[in-house]
Amino acid sequence: MTQRAFTPMVLALLVTTLGFATLIFVQEAASPPLVYGAYYAGTLFALYVGVRLLLPHSDVLLLPIVTLLTGIGLVMVFRLTYDVEGAETLALTQAVWILIGSGTMFLLVLFFRNYDRLFDYKYLLAIAAVFLIASTFTPLGYTVNGARLWVDLGPVGFQPSEFARIALVVFFAGYLAEKRDVMAATSRGFLGIELPAIKYFGPVALVWAASLGLLVFEKDLGSSLLFFAVPLLMLYVATGRIAYILLGGVLFCFGSFATFLLFDHVQVRVQSWLDPWQDPDGTGFQILQSIFNIADGGLLGTGLGAGFAQTIPEVETDFVFSAIASELGLLGATAILLAFLAFTYRGIKIALLAEDDASKLLSFGLTAMFALQTLIIVGGVTKAIPLTGITLPFVSYGGSSVVGNFILTGLLLLVSERAGRREAEGLAYKKVPWGSP
Amino acid sequence: MNAHLRRSFYLFAAGFFGLVAMLAYWQVYSREALANNPENGFQTQRSISSPRGLILAGDGETVLAKSVKRETPQGPVYDRVYPLGAPFSNVVGYWSTRYGATGIEIANNTDLSSIAGEPQTLDDLINRATGGPQPGNNVVLTLDPELQELAYQELQGSLTGRGSVVAINPKTGEILAMASSPSFDPNNIDDNYPELASAPDAPLINRATQSLYPPGSVFKMITAAAALEAGVSPEDTFFDSGAYELPGYTVRNFEDKEYGEVTFTRALAYSINVVFAKIAVDIVGAKALTQMALNFGFGDPYDDFPLPVSGSSVNSLPPDQWTTGTLAQTAFGQGEVQSNSFEMALVTAAIANDGRMVEPRLVREVRSPDGIILDKPTASIRRQAIPPGTASTLNEMMQQVIIQGGLTEAEIPGVKVAGKTGTAESGNGNAHSWWITFAPADDPEIAMCVMVENGGRADRGALPLAARLMRAYLEEGV
Repeated sequence: MTQRAFTPMVLALLVTTLGFATLIFVQEAASPPLVYGAYYAGTLFALYVGVRLLLPHSDVLLLPIVTLLTGIGLVMVFRLTYDVEGAETLALTQAVWILIGSGTMFLLVLFFRNYDRLFDYKYLLAIAAVFLIASTFTPLGYTVNGARLWVDLGPVGFQPSEFARIALVVFFAGYLAEKRDVMAATSRGFLGIELPAIKYFGPVALVWAASLGLLVFEKDLGSSLLFFAVPLLMLYVATGRIAYILLGGVLFCFGSFATFLLFDHVQVRVQSWLDPWQDPDGTGFQILQSIFNIADGGLLGTGLGAGFAQTIPEVETDFVFSAIASELGLLGATAILLAFLAFTYRGIKIALLAEDDASKLLSFGLTAMFALQTLIIVGGVTKAIPLTGITLPFVSYGGSSVVGNFILTGLLLLVSERAGRREAEGLAYKKVPWGSP
Repeated sequence: MNAHLRRSFYLFAAGFFGLVAMLAYWQVYSREALANNPENGFQTQRSISSPRGLILAGDGETVLAKSVKRETPQGPVYDRVYPLGAPFSNVVGYWSTRYGATGIEIANNTDLSSIAGEPQTLDDLINRATGGPQPGNNVVLTLDPELQELAYQELQGSLTGRGSVVAINPKTGEILAMASSPSFDPNNIDDNYPELASAPDAPLINRATQSLYPPGSVFKMITAAAALEAGVSPEDTFFDSGAYELPGYTVRNFEDKEYGEVTFTRALAYSINVVFAKIAVDIVGAKALTQMALNFGFGDPYDDFPLPVSGSSVNSLPPDQWTTGTLAQTAFGQGEVQSNSFEMALVTAAIANDGRMVEPRLVREVRSPDGIILDKPTASIRRQAIPPGTASTLNEMMQQVIIQGGLTEAEIPGVKVAGKTGTAESGNGNAHSWWITFAPADDPEIAMCVMVENGGRADRGALPLAARLMRAYLEEGV
């Protein structure tokens, strides 16, 4: 476990400063009050110091990655909205969300050091998660861009699915750790695939189906994909049976075919992925503008503020990566992707070193969710896969997403603290070399 | 469980590398195709939101094209303005987001545009790296602004108002003037283009380089060069009976004149078709005549020249398939011979420059906005078209064209002038009027070709026009 990351923290903050300096001095953007920059840098640095004090053995390298990603996100949100009427303060709002996310994470590491007590409440968490998702169907819920994902909480709107999915990962981790032995055993065959007794699947399947079904009806395709794939991957890791992946693949084919037939918006998405040129000013407009902007960046990018990314609808949320690729080029975009990969790598390493099954599955589930979310949205905006609207973790504008991902990072830090402490104490620690089975 | 964790990580890593590959596909492989896609307006948007470089005349001061800032609700945009307008537009061209670009505007777009090409100064590199404002580089042309303006006015005032002038420094290859009439005002091209494009007198065509005409007797300089190379000397005598009968074709002189016994020099001075046809058929032959035309640049599209050039041609058939009639007509620039004032000016310049053809140039230098010279092409020799001895003989013969031919209008006091007339049957209305000339003949500073479409006799159309330009250039130091 990396226990010190002072230099990476400074570098990450410098990158953010350089980004803002470019926009303000070269592009002559009106400067946001400098005090906000100080708040931002101060908060993340304080968070780093706090984590170092509270969790001295944790994998603190996650924090500079988070700082880099939120910083790039702030720069891009500022660049894309500072001169847009009605959205001038979006970057400040995002900075406030980063403060709230950091605070939430600090409280988490302060009070949940015995995070495994969460597993005792796994059924409660699962039910809460399903209710959270369902809460958008109450009169408080409302629809943005055709998807009913939002709940109005007076001063702020929030996206319950961003939090529900963390709760669900906790549930799956707790449940699968408990039942992994019996679920790996086989008792009957189905289509030539050996399967364990159906009763063990009951709770998993129920929660899975409920959350997935609700999301599909909310038309939240991106989250549906995540909610489908993450439990499946956790099941695979828990039991080591590739059959679950295959079965999942079959289910996925049926499910996506059914949604394709049932929902117009799915058909539109698939069509504008396969052939956006059919309707370049209508359904294909967003993805074509994204591709044009990405191509416009070339190897080195147009330079911050010199691109045309504002032509993409929703650029500061779902399409923020297109703006990065356009203005920072292939090199800059690859660097950002490597930062995401580095986060994923640390997450998997935390899972490898975690002692008990539940902690392993928890950290793996959270990491898988983070990695898949990145792959799905970046794949979507680069037209590698059909577009499904979800945020790019830490980078996209969006309060619920930022706070949710800070919580996710906090949980990973908590898991790594335990493994790190055991390592430090030299107790029952078995070194697991990377690369051996 | 750890093995499965690792396998999952490899899956994610593969996904990330797949994304990088996808990005590389868009940003490197398909980049240009997407940039040029008609649905993609970025290039246009970018090109009007930053200033292009200046296009300047040869004095380095006269502005031929500049970008002028205009504030709009979407931010500042730059309009292209041409202060001197029509006299220069066949060279400078126009630059339109709707109708594309022509002339130097497109030929040197990489220099003029602030966004194309590689960064060339440290400032430029820093500006680009930080996405800062990037004004384009300035292009200085070789054109003499006063001579160009005068040439255009002269063409406008000619018999038909249609024609072209090309003047060139024979030693350096710098184009001093290249005028074409009728021309067009490149300002507000977006509004005027549809009308200009369909106008019957084709004002958008650069007549100096893009049109092709029968050159008539100015082509005799090439026949004469071939004859000298074949052993004819200026003092050799030939007999002109006023007609030369060949199978299926009879050569006659201009205005059916009959000159009797004449020297080769006099045959050129009086432009005697019969003598030139006989020399071509009896002495030179089709192959040597064609080869001489190729030596002088016929058939060459001048790909390195910034403006599009229609290559001149002698005949569609290879020389070994010509009839003697074809050869006879070719000898005095009729039949299928096609050329323009650009090519004939280069032929004249080569004779003036001891037989050496220099590379024609329109761009003197490219400067960064802060005045640093980025590119300064130097004079280069295309080829030795004819030996220096032959060239000096032709030089002397061309001086005799004016002296023995009695073309007093072409004379300049104190300066030796050389020249050759051309009155080419156009097959459509009046003959085309040609005059090629260079001066001072003992140390040439300028070579020129003037061509007036359907301008009639050379000595009444192109010659006086050219003489006024020559005098203005040499005497008044234009």
